[in-house]
Amino acid sequence: MNLTSLGLMPVGLMHYLILSAVLFAIGLYGVLAKRNAVVILMCIEIMLNAVNIALIAFSRYVVPVQLTGQIFALFVMVVAAAEAAVGIAIIMAIYRSHQSVDVDKLDLMKW
Amino acid sequence: MILKELQLLTPELSLLVFALLVIMLDLFIKQKKVLVVVSIAGILVSAGFTLSLWGIHATDILYAMLSVDQYALLFKLIFLVAAGLVILASQDYISKFAQFQSEYYALVLISALGMMLMAAAQDLIAVYVSLELSSISLYVLASFLKDQKSTEAGLKYLLLGAVSSAVLLYGMALVFGLTGHTCMPCIADSLKGMPISNIMQSPALLMGLILIVAGFGFKIASVPFQMWVPDVYEGAPTPVTAYLSVASKAAGFAVILRVLFVVFGATAWLSQDWGLLIAVLSAITMMVGNVVALSQSNIKRMFGYSSIAQAGYLMVGLAAVGMAAGSDALGRSGLLFFLMSYTFTNLGAFIAIIAISNKLNSDQIEDYTGMSKRAPLLAIALTLCLVSLTGLPPTAGLIAKIYIFNGAVNHGLLWLVIIAVINSVISAFYYFRIVKVMWMGAPASEEKVPSTWALRVALSLCCLFVLLLGVLPAGFMGIAQAAVKIFTGS
Amino acid sequence: MPSDIFACFFFFRHGILSPQHFEPGAFTVLADYGYVGILLVAAILFTILLLLIPLTLSLLGVVPRKSNPVKTSTYECGLETIGKTWVQFNFRYYLFAILFVALDVLTIFLYPWAVNLRGLGLFGFIAMVAFFIILLVGYVYAWRKGALEWK
Repeated sequence: MNLTSLGLMPVGLMHYLILSAVLFAIGLYGVLAKRNAVVILMCIEIMLNAVNIALIAFSRYVVPVQLTGQIFALFVMVVAAAEAAVGIAIIMAIYRSHQSVDVDKLDLMKW
Repeated sequence: MILKELQLLTPELSLLVFALLVIMLDLFIKQKKVLVVVSIAGILVSAGFTLSLWGIHATDILYAMLSVDQYALLFKLIFLVAAGLVILASQDYISKFAQFQSEYYALVLISALGMMLMAAAQDLIAVYVSLELSSISLYVLASFLKDQKSTEAGLKYLLLGAVSSAVLLYGMALVFGLTGHTCMPCIADSLKGMPISNIMQSPALLMGLILIVAGFGFKIASVPFQMWVPDVYEGAPTPVTAYLSVASKAAGFAVILRVLFVVFGATAWLSQDWGLLIAVLSAITMMVGNVVALSQSNIKRMFGYSSIAQAGYLMVGLAAVGMAAGSDALGRSGLLFFLMSYTFTNLGAFIAIIAISNKLNSDQIEDYTGMSKRAPLLAIALTLCLVSLTGLPPTAGLIAKIYIFNGAVNHGLLWLVIIAVINSVISAFYYFRIVKVMWMGAPASEEKVPSTWALRVALSLCCLFVLLLGVLPAGFMGIAQAAVKIFTGS
Repeated sequence: MPSDIFACFFFFRHGILSPQHFEPGAFTVLADYGYVGILLVAAILFTILLLLIPLTLSLLGVVPRKSNPVKTSTYECGLETIGKTWVQFNFRYYLFAILFVALDVLTIFLYPWAVNLRGLGLFGFIAMVAFFIILLVGYVYAWRKGALEWK
């Protein structure tokens, strides 16, 4: 059966890369625009997951036999979890000392 | 084969064992003084293993993830020295977090471990994991005091650091996708095989290069990724600031030099491309660091901007390496010499600041008035380090700058060197302001500034090396040249 | 579901789900995912059809429309909620959450290791033992510091 005749486009490397770039941009926007520290942390996780998509897509299409990209993605996931754990702990400490997790209020030090 | 690899890994493995030992000992013994001894012992053992490997032929271990060569070994020594001096100097400061001593020592050791792996990493995966190992430990250390300023510094460092590592990762993913490898020499081979037109037509590769430079730029605090530096330096506990300013920056340069040189230095035109990029960034970094430092009143914050400026000088050496396109070793060995000199100088300055600020309970520069009468030895040491940071004889700073600027001039970066020299003159203003305050002003009180023997040992070691590197640079330069030999082959 | 089994059988018969589609080479054209799209369209059409049936019936007046308070309440059966819906979890959970996040992700490394244990040999085994010793130190630390106790 011919899929293009049904109006369906084959999913290729480019689609994954575009998805990854869009996700990365969404994460970056969130980091720059949001004020709640927890939300910023979540946006950073989105950025890391965007990278994971790119890595796995590259791994599948560029070097399908070796699994370099997939292994890389595993490491990224684990490191991201460690980073999130430390991040949450620091945010707890911030909340105890500042009574807020709004990053705009963290302005004891500037210039 | 396994035993051979383990033997090459002994510096890292021993440090890891001692870090775990510190954590475990804390849980089961009451006498906390033991922890310092164990940490220092760990650093000495690890440094001993590193020295025993010196002179080794470059070997790839752990499936070519790490490379054990003299370049990595020299950097490992720098990190170990920095970690050891910081632990010694923390003895005056430790009362502020006496409850969490073992965590402090263990984190310092673990971040040193991460940096040692960074210097040896030869694969993008290893670079990323080791970079995060050192960074995450440093995030925790930065917010260690748990007061308002410290937690704020920690959060800023964590958020910006995590974003920068995401950016770095995206760059790595692009490079991996376009070459199909994560191991650096393999990427270089595959780049060499590509026709130039092919690379030019795929902006993604250049994008990857730029993103990687951006990610490491955060680590070495180059403009425009320097925003975190003053805040984190001001808020973090002073020993941690000292550690950050020295070891973290050296680790950044260790890995950026290896990545840029091994991966992107293989093709001459690409090398000159990033050389110019780094040169421009370097000029802006120096200007920003020095000019903003002029108006600072907090000494830790001033040192933050000063360390940005020093990163600018170091990048002059990096730019020279790029412009040389793999032909010479002066830029690279100059960079390593500058890093050695900067390590001892900046650590010395910070150790003096730890002792003085701990007594004063203030980081304001005006509170340092008449320090020459209250603590003559500390004042002399701080003055020596400031002289070295400015780059005046007879100290290490002068020789380091001469080496690095010489390398840059040889490769057509005269304009950059002129900017750097002008910047050195500007920096004299703020460095000597502290000297003036300490020696000219009248002391606010006659009370002496106390210090522990550990801090004195650390400080005198720093001063000794600042003078040694300044008076007898040839021997240290020989070490630096031996370390960069691994790069001349490719 | 018998119908699902039938669908699978149907796809196999016509070579749509044949094993060749799972080989690496076949993924150079991921057109096979197009069939997921067809199924999706079918599913959406079916849902809309099901929604239309009661609507048409009520328009035709077949369905009686007599509303009373009990019938229009949020929950026809069960209890009304008491207090605010947005309860905050006790912050004491956060230590457990952090421990969980940090430790459970590490099992990721076990899968690839277990799959290739024979290939990795003794070195792989020793490496994993070392990995678990490090984890164990972390666990003992958390235990002794009282992070696992409900205070």
